[in-house]
Amino acid sequence: MIDEMEPAPKGTDYDLYFGPAHPGSGNFGVKLKVAGEIVVSARADPGYLHRGFEKLMEYRTPIQNAVLSDRLCVLEPLNWNLVHAEAVDELMDIDVPERAKYIRVIMAELSRIQSHIIWYGVFSLGTGFDTGFKMAFGYRDYILDLFELITGGRVYPAGYICPGGVRRDFPNGARDKILKVLDKMGEMIKLEELENPALGARAKGVGILKVKDAIRLGATGPVLRGSGMKTDVRKDEPYEIYDRLDFEVPVRKEGDAYARYWIGIEEMKQSIKIIKQALKELPEGEVIDPSWKKPKLSVKIPKGEVYVRNEVARGEAAVYMVGDGGSKPYRCKIRGPDFLHMIPVLEYLLKGAQIADVPAIYWSLNICPADMDR
Amino acid sequence: MVKRSKKAKTMRKLIKAIWIFSWFNSCGFCELVPLVGSRWDMERFGMIIVGTPRHADVLFIAGYQTLKSIKRAKIIYEQMAEPKVVIALGSCTMTGGMYWDSYNTIKRLEDYLPVTMYVPGCPPRPEAVFEACEKIFGHVKELK
Amino acid sequence: MDTKETGLLDEIKSKFKVDGRVQREQRIWISTDGSKLMEVCKWLKDGGFTHLSAISATDWLKDGKYELTYHLWSYDDNILVTVKTKIDRKNPSIDSVVPVWEENAQIHERELHELFGVKFKGNPDLSPLFLEDQEDVHPFRKDFNWREHVREKFYNKENEREAVYYD
Repeated sequence: MIDEMEPAPKGTDYDLYFGPAHPGSGNFGVKLKVAGEIVVSARADPGYLHRGFEKLMEYRTPIQNAVLSDRLCVLEPLNWNLVHAEAVDELMDIDVPERAKYIRVIMAELSRIQSHIIWYGVFSLGTGFDTGFKMAFGYRDYILDLFELITGGRVYPAGYICPGGVRRDFPNGARDKILKVLDKMGEMIKLEELENPALGARAKGVGILKVKDAIRLGATGPVLRGSGMKTDVRKDEPYEIYDRLDFEVPVRKEGDAYARYWIGIEEMKQSIKIIKQALKELPEGEVIDPSWKKPKLSVKIPKGEVYVRNEVARGEAAVYMVGDGGSKPYRCKIRGPDFLHMIPVLEYLLKGAQIADVPAIYWSLNICPADMDR
Repeated sequence: MVKRSKKAKTMRKLIKAIWIFSWFNSCGFCELVPLVGSRWDMERFGMIIVGTPRHADVLFIAGYQTLKSIKRAKIIYEQMAEPKVVIALGSCTMTGGMYWDSYNTIKRLEDYLPVTMYVPGCPPRPEAVFEACEKIFGHVKELK
Repeated sequence: MDTKETGLLDEIKSKFKVDGRVQREQRIWISTDGSKLMEVCKWLKDGGFTHLSAISATDWLKDGKYELTYHLWSYDDNILVTVKTKIDRKNPSIDSVVPVWEENAQIHERELHELFGVKFKGNPDLSPLFLEDQEDVHPFRKDFNWREHVREKFYNKENEREAVYYD
């Protein structure tokens, strides 16, 4: 396609800033050098949301950090809650009861479904399919009502998954409500699978990423699976109870924007399967380690270090925590998937693309600027 | 015929419909976008989101601001035409919120922009945003 | 007990003479000297550790050293190896691993240069990433007290509600 276009006349290059006030870009800026209709080079401009999380966590105790860890990525708060809680559990050697592990997995998978609904909605908005945007945000409210019933907050659960287990048990009737909501999600996925020809024409063959380049640039999660590599942290290194559950990992070989979008829809189906299995096998018992039931403000973190990896909706997330005998963590490094997707991968994919394809490529990577800047 | 001052006449034009330019920060994205969706539909009140500040009447600042992004917000405020209103959502605009000891976020929005109304919450619920808009309409009706 | 992890650790120890231990299954931790770092990294990358998960730095103020950690993951064996080295805190500089892991390492080193002040020799681009117009401030060092800095910069002593912070 690009070979057929004539090159632009000399002296007509210009700079274009695809910035934070653009309705299709989020809180992130990209500096583009454009010649005619083709992008010659791109440079990312991060830093609009930098709060310095890693040092904020050094001034607070682990139970206070559990509330702060929701806000690491605002589109999937419960998954990041889980990464931080697992790091503290492993460093301080806490035994988590069985019922708490099942509840943690159910809440994390509900949050993954909610995040993929947002991905579907904004990808449709970026390619001009307005009905998909309104429909997606209408269906997302069913899950937010469930979160309000169980944890108390629509968007931020206020540290529900804390070190030692979860804060409180399911209320009466939560189980039937979860099953009803899962039926509604199944209905929504059937509607999403009806292909819209305009979206297909804009997304197929655009933004192709091969496997070798993906590993060299550091991509993980759906971006790597869309290029053909079958890998998932829940299968390679199972945490919580994922080794007892039966689910598949969807993979596609083309590596373009349409393949990544299709993987998002398939992952929602697998999450529904996981939640139904976990609800059937849910055992009775306590939901939190007895010594952590009353929130303790002064704890003693032993000397040591851990590195915990999880699979959040966007890719691989990790926490590296160092303890030195005090009551606050000495160093807490957070590795998010978007740090790699938004700077090296985006600069590589935008080179040589047309201006009209920039939103389709940008939104197919499923970005969250808060995760990158921390 | 009721006699009204010039300011009251221009402000009453706002009652018909307000066009919003929203400067989403992360926390605002999660609670402002459902307002456009089908459950909390804001088009029935006449509110719509526009893509450029030159067409807008109301600026929503939703969430914490860093030193880098407050400079851009000031430029956007100057591009809007009179009469204009600024609504600040979230507790981070009032006192600094959860990031009160961070070196890169601002602690009070009124040091940088003239704010008309604050809506507390972390994040504020959609019903609270509608109540804030209703109070602005009521205040404009009583202007002399 | 002879497992995959202990076998790999013995191979590394015999070839390069470094310290190491196996923490649990799928986790190996190695400490080495700054001069042997590049050889160890090249050998590990050729042996299947193609994914660089993160590069991090810890500021040990009492010892006067920075400790850099490189976390590597292998997709074939499913093992995570961490390589740690210590460098001096007053003039921190070390060779860059960009020739081994290319763009993935380049962006991590750019972030560490801005937040801690570490100089990586051989990195093509070390310009500021997150902060604008705030050169020469390395905010994540342990001797930069955030609460005092925020009190001086943002709070007002004349205001009676905020004067309580100045007691």
